[in-house]
Amino acid sequence: MFEYTDYHIAPWGWELPLYFFLIGTAGMVYVLAAAPAVFGGAAKALEPFRRTGSATAIVLLLISTVLLIVDLGQPARFLYPILYFHWTSPVSWGALFLLLFGVCIAGFFYASMTKNDQLAKLTGIVGSLLALSMPLYTGLDLMVNQARELWANPTIPVLFVTLSVTSGTGLVALLITLSGGMSTEVTRLLRRILFFSVSVTLALFLAFWVVFMYGTGEEQEAYALVNELYGLRFWLVTLLVGILAPLAILIVPRLYDNATLVTLAGVLGAIGAYTFREVIVYAGQLPMMTY
Amino acid sequence: MPIGLQAEPSLGVPGKKRYAMVVDLRRCIGCMACVTACKAEYDVPLGVWRTTVRVKDTGVYPNTRRHFMPRLCNHCDNPPCVRNCPTEATYKHEDGFVLQRYERCIACRTCIAACPYNARHILPGNRASVKIGGVVDKCTFCDHRVAQGLLPACVQTCLGRSRIFGDLNDPDSEVAKLVATHFTVTLKPEKGTKPQVYYIRPERTTTEQAYSAPTSYAARSDAEAFYRHNKGSRFYAGVL
Repeated sequence: MFEYTDYHIAPWGWELPLYFFLIGTAGMVYVLAAAPAVFGGAAKALEPFRRTGSATAIVLLLISTVLLIVDLGQPARFLYPILYFHWTSPVSWGALFLLLFGVCIAGFFYASMTKNDQLAKLTGIVGSLLALSMPLYTGLDLMVNQARELWANPTIPVLFVTLSVTSGTGLVALLITLSGGMSTEVTRLLRRILFFSVSVTLALFLAFWVVFMYGTGEEQEAYALVNELYGLRFWLVTLLVGILAPLAILIVPRLYDNATLVTLAGVLGAIGAYTFREVIVYAGQLPMMTY
Repeated sequence: MPIGLQAEPSLGVPGKKRYAMVVDLRRCIGCMACVTACKAEYDVPLGVWRTTVRVKDTGVYPNTRRHFMPRLCNHCDNPPCVRNCPTEATYKHEDGFVLQRYERCIACRTCIAACPYNARHILPGNRASVKIGGVVDKCTFCDHRVAQGLLPACVQTCLGRSRIFGDLNDPDSEVAKLVATHFTVTLKPEKGTKPQVYYIRPERTTTEQAYSAPTSYAARSDAEAFYRHNKGSRFYAGVL
């Protein structure tokens, strides 16, 4: 006659993957904007990007915060994770770090405007660590859900950091190219970062695939769902457009100094960074629908 | 050692209570009185449930059988929903209840993601008679009734006495005796949640039902209608 089904799924819709993408991108943009003040050396080539970078990070942070608040069923209570802080919840830590990250960006922007190098270094170092914590906590937010095997994977936070490095670097390359400031030094620096992050992403993508193929029943069900519902986004956009295409550009030695192609690789990598997260967030919650 | 809980696991701890439920599947006739009683007790809106009875038909006529599987919050002794809640809106009571503070819930749905039993849902925000809405809700083991010395509504109404409720730490309680003398299983113990709903004599078909997609025509129609109705709506946009 019938089977009684109920669909109390974790309804994390488009707001969450977009938030994860934007806040991770904001983090890496900030790291690169603060790099001349924090690291010096080769990163000094990014000195002209300092103000643009911190301003971009602020804009991305504001959009991310609005997305995060709008996604809540009770938006007016958005400060509760800090007011009623629960130390075992990654969301509580994320909310706290998000606030502190915003303070650091504002401080760094102010220091850049007033040429206060001491304040720039302090906010640069602390802010960069907080920037790293943004993709890290979003990955942890998924990883701690032992009930969802696709997410309960220690590589997820590492993957999210790597994807943020790619998308942030891609956006920085695009902004600098559009402003006409893509020097050879900047191109080489951004190419090295992109090559590293996209290579790690490929390794983690393959690891995911193996887990899908050889994993538990739930992981195999997730793999079937990925192919059925998100095959285009997973195989074409993420793997082909977002990982293999940028790698093909970045690996050729004679293209190392080609600013346009390095920027293109960054943009493609950023697109893949978005879809990879999107597929993980969506597919990870769907095997639970019939539990 | 469990972390992030407001009360330590109390199962087997002398001097403490550990409320639990035993579901004797030999006695369940699938009348759905428990679901109805629960809906009435809490004005549970259409489309969501605190408790359900899942039904599965197996075999081919004339060799067929219908199986019933009552489901509810397992009030775990090590609940991951509590650990992951960013505001401590969901918390563990010292007697074992896993409860929800509506006034603190921000409906981030982290607890729904954490629950291995699909036991949580979001209350619609525009309810007519009850003003609690836009927050996560779940079975409470009827803690307000238990505090008055009554049984949970679903247990009280169960005409086959399939659902039995009590303090598992009390060796004289009916639940303790049933768990001690019968073959019982809990759902997904491998998740480390220490679930406190014990099933007597489950069949493979019913426990696997928890892991399998609906197969009958009616269930598929139900699923497709759900997809159609919720596709693109708030909380489901993008996923479905």
